Amino acid sequence: MIAFELERPRSLQEAISILEKFGSRAMPKAGGTDLLMWMKDRLVTPEVVVDLSLIPDLAGVNLSKDGLRIGAMATCTEVLESAAVEDHFPALRDACLSHSDWLIRNRATVVGNVCSAVPSGDVMPALYCYDATIRIVGPRGERSIPINKFILGPRKKDMIAGEIVTHVFLPLPEGKSSGCYLKLGRRNALDLAQVGVACVAIDGKNGREYRLAYGAVAPTPVRALEAEKALQGIKAPDDAILEKVSALAKEAVKPISDVRAGVEYRLAMVGELTKRAIDTCVERLKEE
Amino acid sequence: MTKREVHFTLNGRSVTYEVEPRTTLLRALRHHGVTSVKRGCEEGECGTCTVLLDGVPVKSCTVLALEVEGRSVLTAEGLVGKDGKLHPVQQAFVEEGGIQCGFCTPGMVLTTYALLKKNPDPSEDEIRLALAGNLCRCTGYAGIFRSVKRAAELLKDQA
Repeated sequence: MIAFELERPRSLQEAISILEKFGSRAMPKAGGTDLLMWMKDRLVTPEVVVDLSLIPDLAGVNLSKDGLRIGAMATCTEVLESAAVEDHFPALRDACLSHSDWLIRNRATVVGNVCSAVPSGDVMPALYCYDATIRIVGPRGERSIPINKFILGPRKKDMIAGEIVTHVFLPLPEGKSSGCYLKLGRRNALDLAQVGVACVAIDGKNGREYRLAYGAVAPTPVRALEAEKALQGIKAPDDAILEKVSALAKEAVKPISDVRAGVEYRLAMVGELTKRAIDTCVERLKEE
Repeated sequence: MTKREVHFTLNGRSVTYEVEPRTTLLRALRHHGVTSVKRGCEEGECGTCTVLLDGVPVKSCTVLALEVEGRSVLTAEGLVGKDGKLHPVQQAFVEEGGIQCGFCTPGMVLTTYALLKKNPDPSEDEIRLALAGNLCRCTGYAGIFRSVKRAAELLKDQA
């Protein structure tokens, strides 16, 4: 690996001033499971790595009456084992469980998966469904930005030098809800998604509402808003509706052919997994 | 880059290593003779470099050595008793033929040890899920799964 200096600040303020001082020559590190590998392959070559793991403000997964706060250092294992996530955000739990393997999940963080901003990032479709916001602090103070505005493209995000994502915030669904994340890969562990589909169904004030988001089938994760509209209010979608919804979902995505799958296959699977994800959510809401 | 000192507990003993910031825990351990920790893919895929960090299994190629300051690291060497007696998990791998070439074995043993601490009576599915990040290229998984079940029995008898 290329040589670098390691800083281990113990407060946010200290971390921000180091990152600001070195600008584009420094990079923050949470779990490091992406960053260290990218550095090894020289995809990124920071002169200073700022390890965030000693900053107490960045730890933990906490539920309040408004929603869930996932700290920047909370690992995928911590998130998927959290009772609050199991109870209120099952699509995120599924997503964390589909990520890599147990040993990596013990290091890799949910916020890190967002900040890596790779199109196949497993936790992102679920966060899109739950309308997550990204909370950032930096030299100019604090700001909050919806996840779909934060992610700009493959490995591109709306952040400037000196800024740190402190946590993601997920508002509690307004009503009884169910959710799931279905990941298609060549094998179950340690593989990037060919297609990832998150679905959330909520029985809210205006009746049954659905949210659908997709990973690995566009430069950024995408919500299928037209497909969601077509499902609005329908508690038991029949085959005709599911066909229509899966066609609308296919229009919302823009997959490419790569080493993991071709365009046609990805589109066909977007259609099929959409139906399965909706079925799963509908069944899970019936059970309760 | 200048070398820096890192102080940590290795298999119950306090140690100090001098390392560069870029040195991974994997490389630091092997450099200091802890060779049960294997250098396989070195990109977080294979699990042959598994260690327990404060009791949690991680791939040591994804950890910088300086990050273990003040923490506790357990490797397969640390499972062996003072009298040289194998740990029940290690014994189970011997008895059930959970070893072929042996390269993945220290990692498999450590992940199994961590799994059984967390879940003393895992189902077949739970075993597969826990070991998904440890690859055996001899594909000796049937023997490895038997070893995990045997280890669970041995640990229960011991308790």
